[in-house]
Amino acid sequence: MPAIEVQRQMLPMFGSPNQGARFYNPELPQTEPFVPGHRTCAGCGPSIQYRMTSKAAGDNTILVGPTGCMYVANSSYLCTPYNVPWAHTQIGSAGSFTAGVAAAYEAMIRKGKWKGPFPNIICEAGDGSASDIGLASISGALYRNHDCLIICYDNEQYANTGIQASSRTPYGGMTTFSPPGKMVPEAKTLFPKDLARMMAAGHPHCYVATASVGYPIDLMNKVRKGLNHKGAAYMMIYTPCQKGFVYETPRSIDLGRLVVECGLYPMWEWDPAKREFDYSFRPGSMRPVSEYLKLQGRFGHLHAEHIATLQKFANAQWKMMGVELPDALLWAADAKNLSDMAAADEAVAVALTV
Amino acid sequence: MATETVKKKKVRINGCVASAQAAKYADVDVITAYPIRPYTATMIALAQMVANGELDADYIVADSEHSQLSIAHGASSSGARVFTGSSGVGVQFAYELYSPISGTRMPVQMMIADRTLDPPGDFGSEHTDALSTRDMGWLMGWSCDAQEAFDNHLLGFRIGEDPRVLLPQMVCQDGFFVSHITTDVELPDTGQVKEFLPPYKHPYPLDPRRPVSHGPQIMPEQGPPLQLERARAMEGAVPVIEQAHEEFAKIFGRKYDPWIEEYMTSDAEVVFFLQGAHGVTARYAIQHMRQRGAKVGLVRLKTIRPYPTDRVNEVLSKFAVVGVVETNLALGSVSSGGVLYAEVCGALYESAKRPLVLSFMAGMGGEAIVLKEFYWMTQKMLDAKKRGKIEKRTHWVGFEE
Repeated sequence: MPAIEVQRQMLPMFGSPNQGARFYNPELPQTEPFVPGHRTCAGCGPSIQYRMTSKAAGDNTILVGPTGCMYVANSSYLCTPYNVPWAHTQIGSAGSFTAGVAAAYEAMIRKGKWKGPFPNIICEAGDGSASDIGLASISGALYRNHDCLIICYDNEQYANTGIQASSRTPYGGMTTFSPPGKMVPEAKTLFPKDLARMMAAGHPHCYVATASVGYPIDLMNKVRKGLNHKGAAYMMIYTPCQKGFVYETPRSIDLGRLVVECGLYPMWEWDPAKREFDYSFRPGSMRPVSEYLKLQGRFGHLHAEHIATLQKFANAQWKMMGVELPDALLWAADAKNLSDMAAADEAVAVALTV
Repeated sequence: MATETVKKKKVRINGCVASAQAAKYADVDVITAYPIRPYTATMIALAQMVANGELDADYIVADSEHSQLSIAHGASSSGARVFTGSSGVGVQFAYELYSPISGTRMPVQMMIADRTLDPPGDFGSEHTDALSTRDMGWLMGWSCDAQEAFDNHLLGFRIGEDPRVLLPQMVCQDGFFVSHITTDVELPDTGQVKEFLPPYKHPYPLDPRRPVSHGPQIMPEQGPPLQLERARAMEGAVPVIEQAHEEFAKIFGRKYDPWIEEYMTSDAEVVFFLQGAHGVTARYAIQHMRQRGAKVGLVRLKTIRPYPTDRVNEVLSKFAVVGVVETNLALGSVSSGGVLYAEVCGALYESAKRPLVLSFMAGMGGEAIVLKEFYWMTQKMLDAKKRGKIEKRTHWVGFEE
């Protein structure tokens, strides 16, 4: 029996005069593969992302959910927010389980056991799964180039288990595994793993992009580009966590913009055809990191020198993207010009609210 | 391309290749491989079959055994027939996945060619690798030669994919003693396999046209009914296993008792109880001991999960002494020896006429259990019978007079 050719669908891009604009876009599909009624926190960044992603993908979609908030808080037995097929997998199995789904559809369509266009296969892995325990499984799936999109919804911590540091937790970020104290006033001493770049560098045949919930149209277009790409695609998406970052609930989208405006979350795409990074995304304004940090309890313990360290880190990211630094940002990288966030004692009080 | 039609024929292959042939005859859709000796030879054979176009399957070289099993899980959840395998520490590396795969009721098939766990690094066969997963909800049993291995793979798919069962299967064979010993194997006609093994059809696959959620988070009070359901699936497999073996005999002409093989037991007073390839040596040893007047026989366990408790009770109660040959390590266990002792004694507890039970630690590290050792063990059993009680529960064979 001759092999049956696998048909693939192509999703159109959403038009928008300004990628960062927040306005009603009439092109958005009505479909809601991820419906309300789940148990995530008010203002939950990952679930806002989940809705945007699944809306962009549409109904011919299969979702894979490794253990994390988007498993535990979303899927409650006998009640499910997923209007498309969804499967839980182990936290370390993000890439591998997804690869299995993709391989099954390749084989079943080819052998005439399943008829229809190849489904969108999307894995929603938290940063703990994506940057730590499931890193090898995701690398394996990208390397083997299964036709799927693997998303790291990056809330910069293990949030589901009660806010522990992951290798995506930023320098200075307080978590229950990286608390500030006399010996470690800055709390987390390590800088985050440059995860998306690592994936682009190691798997250059894949479409790789970073995105943020602050820029919904950009995020959804990148999801569609990733799905349209024949082969594996990877996205790392900034999704603030109100519970772990300790901020006012309605400010999730604001944080999603500020993190980009402060240079702490570079937005880029890796073009697998040209084999180059596209750094053309520019936020509406550039700001010092303190404007982002001061909204979050997790940075409440930082001293001037730590804020300066983070500003230097942000400035390096701007340079990497080819952006010329305004004097204000150079000035903000000098601890002499900055003031402490709070005293260490107060930081402990903040920690108790986590 | 579909599997080539092959008329029924005799070939000389080893256990690993027999397993690969079985996967080919079952027309598997997804294969996940990761190298570790000795099972690797199965995946080497399958890679060549796929490369030659003899088998149309997605052959995936995973990045670890953990990934191997979760790829298999994902593929099986989507409706594909999946074949995987491992040995020794590889079986352990994938440990996390055994319960989720059986819990979501995905009939993944895994071939195991046993290998001793580390330390020390040892290629030899010991059953500890697969036995350590015995309570994870997988159907499990050992083959004693390549033909039986081939047959057990087909039986495994048939039983595991039955909508009344839907459980994964571990089809085990001893490393080297089966996996790397070449024997005559009869390969069937593809028509026979088609008749025996219907296409895999999971009732609730991940299909965009019929959305389902697999494996959502539960509240503690929702746990008991789900666990009970899984336990019942295992119990419910019993009649399906028996039916499958009957149909297998009709179609392929080879009749197996699915639970227990008895050898020279009709008048036996003492018997060996074991799994897998050492049964072959045991048969020869028994012939020799019989010539010297010892009434010794063999009871070989063929399926350990689901465990045939009543059958073991009924069969072993006939004898005066049972010598369990472990070939596995259960440190600090009931007998301070192996796993099988407790399985045997548990089955015998309700017997009105309990035999004496000895545990023999033999074949450890994958060493062959030689005839001389079987003679020695027989003598220990006869001594116990004469004395009417055991000298001690566990004997480390080769370390005692």
